[in-house]
Amino acid sequence: MSSKDSCRNELRFAIRQLSDRCLYSAAKWAAEQLVGIEQDPAKFTPSHTRFQRGSSSIRRRFRTNEIASTPTAGVSYVSTPVLEEDEAVDGDFYLLAKSYFDCREYRRTAHVLRDQTGKKAVFLRCYALYLAGEKRKEEEMIELEGPLGKSDAVNHELVSLERELSTLRKNGTVDPFGLYLYGLVLKEKGSENLARTVLVESVNSYPWNWNAWTELQSLCTTIDILNSLNLNNHWMKDFFLASVYQELRMHNESLGKYEYLQGTFSFSNYIQAQIAKAQYSLREFEQVEIIFDELLRNDPYRVEDMDMYSNVLYAKECFSALSYLAHRVFLTDKYRPESCCIIGNYYSLKGQHEKSVVYFRRALKLNKNYLSAWTLMGHEYVEMKNTPAAVDAYRRAVDINPCDYRAWYGLGQAYEMMFMPYYALHYFRKSVFLQPNDSRLWIAMAQCYETDQLQMLEDAIKCYKRAANCNDTEAIALHQLAKLSKELKRSEEAAFYYKKDLERMEAEEREGPNMVEALLFLATYYKSQKRFEEAEIYCTRLLDYTGPEKETAKSLLRGMRKAQSGFPSMDIEHLPP
Amino acid sequence: MAAMLKPPGNFSVTPHKVSVCIVLQIYAPPAQITLPFPFPFSSIAQHNRLGMFLLALTKSCDDIFEPKLDELITQLREIGGELDHWLSDHLTCRLSSLSSPDDLFNFFSDLRGILAGPDSGVVVDDQIILDSNSNLGVFLRRCILAFNLLSFEGVCHLLTNIGTYCKEALSSCPTYELPHLDDSSNEVEALLVYENMDLENFVFDKVTEETEARKMASEKVSFHIHAPKALFGLIEDIEVSAELKFKHREKTGEASSFAHHMKDTLRGIDPNGGIFLRTNWQIQGYLCEQADAIEKHSCSFPLNAFESILRQLQKLAPELHRVHFLRYLNNLYHNDYPASLENLHCYFDYSAGAEGFDFVQPTSSASNSFGRYEIALLCLGMMHFHFGHPKQALEVLTEAVRVSQQQSNDTCLAYTLAAICNLLSAIGISSTTEILGSSYGPVTSIGTSLSIQQQLFVLLRRSLKRADGLKLKRLVASNRLAMAKFGLTHVQRPLLSFGPKASMKLKTCPVNVCKELRLSSHLISEFSTESSIMITDGVFSTAWLKNLQKPMGSLVLSLENASGANSNAFHFCAQPNSIPGSVLQLLGSSYLLRATAWEIYGSAPLARINALVYATCFSNASSSADVALAYTKLIQHLAVFKGHREAFAALKLVEEKFCSISKSRILLLKLQLLHERALHLGHLKLAQQVCDELGVLASSVTGVDMELKTEASLRHARTLLAANQFGQAAAVAHSLFCMCYKFNLQVENATVLLLLAEIHKKSGNAVLGLPYALASLSFCQSFNLDLLKASATLTLAELWLSLGSNHAERASILVQGALPMILGHGGLELRSRAYIAEAKCYLSNPSFSVFENSEVVLDPLRQATEELEILEYHELAAEAFYLIAMVFDKLGQLEEREEAAASFMKHVKALENPQNEQDPLFNIH
Repeated sequence: MSSKDSCRNELRFAIRQLSDRCLYSAAKWAAEQLVGIEQDPAKFTPSHTRFQRGSSSIRRRFRTNEIASTPTAGVSYVSTPVLEEDEAVDGDFYLLAKSYFDCREYRRTAHVLRDQTGKKAVFLRCYALYLAGEKRKEEEMIELEGPLGKSDAVNHELVSLERELSTLRKNGTVDPFGLYLYGLVLKEKGSENLARTVLVESVNSYPWNWNAWTELQSLCTTIDILNSLNLNNHWMKDFFLASVYQELRMHNESLGKYEYLQGTFSFSNYIQAQIAKAQYSLREFEQVEIIFDELLRNDPYRVEDMDMYSNVLYAKECFSALSYLAHRVFLTDKYRPESCCIIGNYYSLKGQHEKSVVYFRRALKLNKNYLSAWTLMGHEYVEMKNTPAAVDAYRRAVDINPCDYRAWYGLGQAYEMMFMPYYALHYFRKSVFLQPNDSRLWIAMAQCYETDQLQMLEDAIKCYKRAANCNDTEAIALHQLAKLSKELKRSEEAAFYYKKDLERMEAEEREGPNMVEALLFLATYYKSQKRFEEAEIYCTRLLDYTGPEKETAKSLLRGMRKAQSGFPSMDIEHLPP
Repeated sequence: MAAMLKPPGNFSVTPHKVSVCIVLQIYAPPAQITLPFPFPFSSIAQHNRLGMFLLALTKSCDDIFEPKLDELITQLREIGGELDHWLSDHLTCRLSSLSSPDDLFNFFSDLRGILAGPDSGVVVDDQIILDSNSNLGVFLRRCILAFNLLSFEGVCHLLTNIGTYCKEALSSCPTYELPHLDDSSNEVEALLVYENMDLENFVFDKVTEETEARKMASEKVSFHIHAPKALFGLIEDIEVSAELKFKHREKTGEASSFAHHMKDTLRGIDPNGGIFLRTNWQIQGYLCEQADAIEKHSCSFPLNAFESILRQLQKLAPELHRVHFLRYLNNLYHNDYPASLENLHCYFDYSAGAEGFDFVQPTSSASNSFGRYEIALLCLGMMHFHFGHPKQALEVLTEAVRVSQQQSNDTCLAYTLAAICNLLSAIGISSTTEILGSSYGPVTSIGTSLSIQQQLFVLLRRSLKRADGLKLKRLVASNRLAMAKFGLTHVQRPLLSFGPKASMKLKTCPVNVCKELRLSSHLISEFSTESSIMITDGVFSTAWLKNLQKPMGSLVLSLENASGANSNAFHFCAQPNSIPGSVLQLLGSSYLLRATAWEIYGSAPLARINALVYATCFSNASSSADVALAYTKLIQHLAVFKGHREAFAALKLVEEKFCSISKSRILLLKLQLLHERALHLGHLKLAQQVCDELGVLASSVTGVDMELKTEASLRHARTLLAANQFGQAAAVAHSLFCMCYKFNLQVENATVLLLLAEIHKKSGNAVLGLPYALASLSFCQSFNLDLLKASATLTLAELWLSLGSNHAERASILVQGALPMILGHGGLELRSRAYIAEAKCYLSNPSFSVFENSEVVLDPLRQATEELEILEYHELAAEAFYLIAMVFDKLGQLEEREEAAASFMKHVKALENPQNEQDPLFNIH
């Protein structure tokens, strides 16, 4: 990895250039990373490091192995020369245009720059035009909403922008920012291949523009596409790869990358949040909670990614923490889809599903393609027993992202609720295909096969087996497997599963009816197999429980003793003492 | 999510509607305001014609987009007669005069003057008033209402749109898209898009693969490789784009035609194009029509062209969920399983099965009701059935029964029961337990002791009763047809096995079949209660407009062209007819079933007549598969009665009409004819090859494609028989019998038994053959298979004959008994066999003397030879000539003897060296 200092210098320079071109979100991202780099404590006064306080504790906790500090051998980063500004001092017109831009008067910006030929001016003009078009598009979308849904509102600037930028590119007079914009336009127009090429060109010549990377990421829908990209080996590429891996559901790879990046950017909130995201996908809720706790302490007004935190709190049923979070984001910015989602989650946890639907709907109004809101709203409708609405919500989620296994699962559940198990199977199949390592999905599918209507026990067993193989935390699968095998009179298999289940319960120190059931079956089974010693052990254990099973165990024991002693005992009885 | 929608106002003002309103103003000028133009019509007819045109414009559903101004102007010229230019000029004039929002406001308030007010008691003479409740009146009122509901932004948009609408029409010249094309990279991109969208790469690859594979598999036998017509269609599609590319490279002035093309296909993508969807009603009508067309033409329907239309439609109207259903249908009929499954689920997830005409569900009702997901199950079940997954189909349909019972949706239940009946009767089910799980409600409730056939019968009766009770006329009719089909091949047994046993004659009951058939055709006078006028209205308007457009080349016409040369065989829109297509289709199938029934019962003329009626009267309304079936029947009839030459000639004609994708009826027929002929000519190798081809067509799933499977192995056995491999032939026939027995194919059983008898007869083991012949005879009797019975009798007679001359008397009686039936209804082969058998009976009868009565023998033999010459059946012909020669020899007429002997030699030689013969018929392809 290139030294921290060089990273720092590159980022400092980039931030200035990016904000000079009004690419504010990219500048924001770069600045966050800049501050995320660990400072040399010798050089700085405590006031500098104050901002980074606290993060270290997470690091201590989660640094499992020290890959981060030891750079992988053989990886050498190319050093990309920083971009030379073509005009040292901005022209007066540029300054005017930029202030218009800052006041969001995009068309005026473009107009002021109409005759400027500098690369910077051309970019800003095009960018302003693009944004003006986008703004108009949004407005039109609402104005023109047709009777059957959305209208075909388009950004009217795209055509002229594309024409201009493609000529510029052909003449070779386009800078990386122009390429980024060109890629954006192309993507919007649907020519993805060319967009990808252009964006790769852009990030190869100017890697610090995170916006370009994000656009590129949204175009990498499969691992093959990713591998076909010809990217320079800059350290920004690692950020990109980590993010793409996450999107492609390669969570462990992504986690590895982020942990590696933490070596340099050890205080980056962004990386922490992304790690939390990966852990969340791996269902490590404890860790996610800790990370978010720290994050909020450092950055109390953060709204991004907080909906995920609320999901964790929801899953852990932390009422007060969730309400606290909701209150906080509400005060920070109530019209963010994330905030609405958090509030919706809170109401859902409280069981007030109508209210929670109101907030999810608000989130969707703010962002129609907000995936998790659709899914969560589906859950709410399921709770409200309004299955058609739930089905609709889930289906919309699936249409936005066909890889959302939760929504597929929700669809299956909804149909199962309507007593259509066979129909539901289609959806469960989809969800397990996308997330084959989630035992809950397999269990749901198995239960579907098990319903009274279907009674397809063989298939149910297959599903339970899969569930048992992928870390079934609630231990439903083993018990069900045992039960089904018993029902199907496969006592050998049943004994195997009961025994496993028993071992597990012992390991987790759980008691309950399942335990009794397992013990009873095993006792009878071993007795019928004439393995009396084992049977006796189970019977004695059963004696610790109250209820009818105790009596059964007693009689079993008695029967065994009789059988064991067999004839000899008879003889003894007959013999005179 | 209905709740997320804006309140649906499903009617919006568009430039096209504004122009219709302008023309409407000309049609019915307001009285109060003096218009700047005089009343322009010279005759009433002309005036009416304009009215018709306006009506058709508001109703037609031939496209999803509203026509552009230039299209409208062309149409106006068509109907305008003398005032053609005046009309269009006036229209453009008015349109271009609308230059500010205020003009629009004034225009719409003027429009109100056209409508007759509620108090229009005072009518000025010869003023034309538009009744506000008439079709046009309602249209006008909706326009005015929609305009009044518009926000100011909306009015501005309308104004801009009218501007582009006019501009396009003015520049509707070749240069329309030229500026676009200057830019080369742009152009590459556009091409890429175009390719992605329209190239049928995938399908095409698959097809070529298939063709290649076939070619390799049968180097020599290439006769059956049809690159089906639909493939030509596909190839043509591709050629179009290739051509485009070429044009591009050339960069000549031909770009204009490209622009035109692009305009057609990419209209939706062009952002400034001013594309407007028609009204919801018209689009739904369009989709309905397309659905009918897909069902009618199945695979020959242009898959990707329609798909791209659907994609546009979905983009423009994402809340119109029916698009998904159409997509499902499209994929279903092109046999794309994953895609159709996906789209079916998608459609029902969105619509909950409750989407209909102009019906947008209110927010509240959606949240209270359950939705109609049982319909989804019904559709899914039928889809599985279509793809040949009987097990899944049955599971799903069972679930459908349960859910519709739960939701007390009786209509759906009735349809589901009918679907189950269909399934049960179409697939062979050997045993109940194998396929019906314990969960199988409707059947198991009757009791498991019944055989599957009896269960089917009970189901049929229940379903019929339910449909009758619900007054679902169409369903009743189709249930009756199913009942007739069942009665055709099944003997009714008493359902209860206890109680006093009534003496039951175990026979099928043709009277019942006829009754059901007759009752089913009552539909023609009863359908009116169910049909919706809406659909027929739309169809009528479309047809009317299309006649107007014929020379112009509308979108539909270009679709037709794309599907290849065969498209002229189909009329996408037949003459407007007041009887809905579905009714016609059902009626047609009753005729088709009649033909089949008579075929089975053995009356050739009646079968032929019914098939003819079907082919002439119902071919427009019914699916291409059914029409193909009717033609198949006719050609088979030709082959049996007129010989193969005529049949092949007819086949050639029919093949041009239908694209023969694998598994189609036509392909099957062709293979059958080829096999038959190869057997006659003694090309045994060829016969075997054809036979194998036939076997490959059938699906490998047990219980599916039973008809094909029996056909294939029957022919296999016959080929082996012709090759004198009796043991193997008998083994094949025997296993076939076992299969037929297992799957309850009784009619086929009779045929197989007869074949077994033939095998034993030919192997010289007549005693073994007798029981088979007798068994076949009894099967024929109980199933009323009269012609087959006659044929079995003939075989029986032949068997007796071969047992020795002392049985000649008995054989003679049998032959004489069968002769009337055979001569009345039998084909060439059967007749000649009967003649030969008759002659042989005489000859082997010791009391018969040739000298006294030679003509009794010679006459039938001569008849036989004549008919066999037509058939080119060498083996039998040789036998007949041999007999003739022998008779002449006995009579001492040496010259005639030599002649007969020469003919005999000729046939024997042809039989021995089949390869010598260069037969044109084998090389049709």
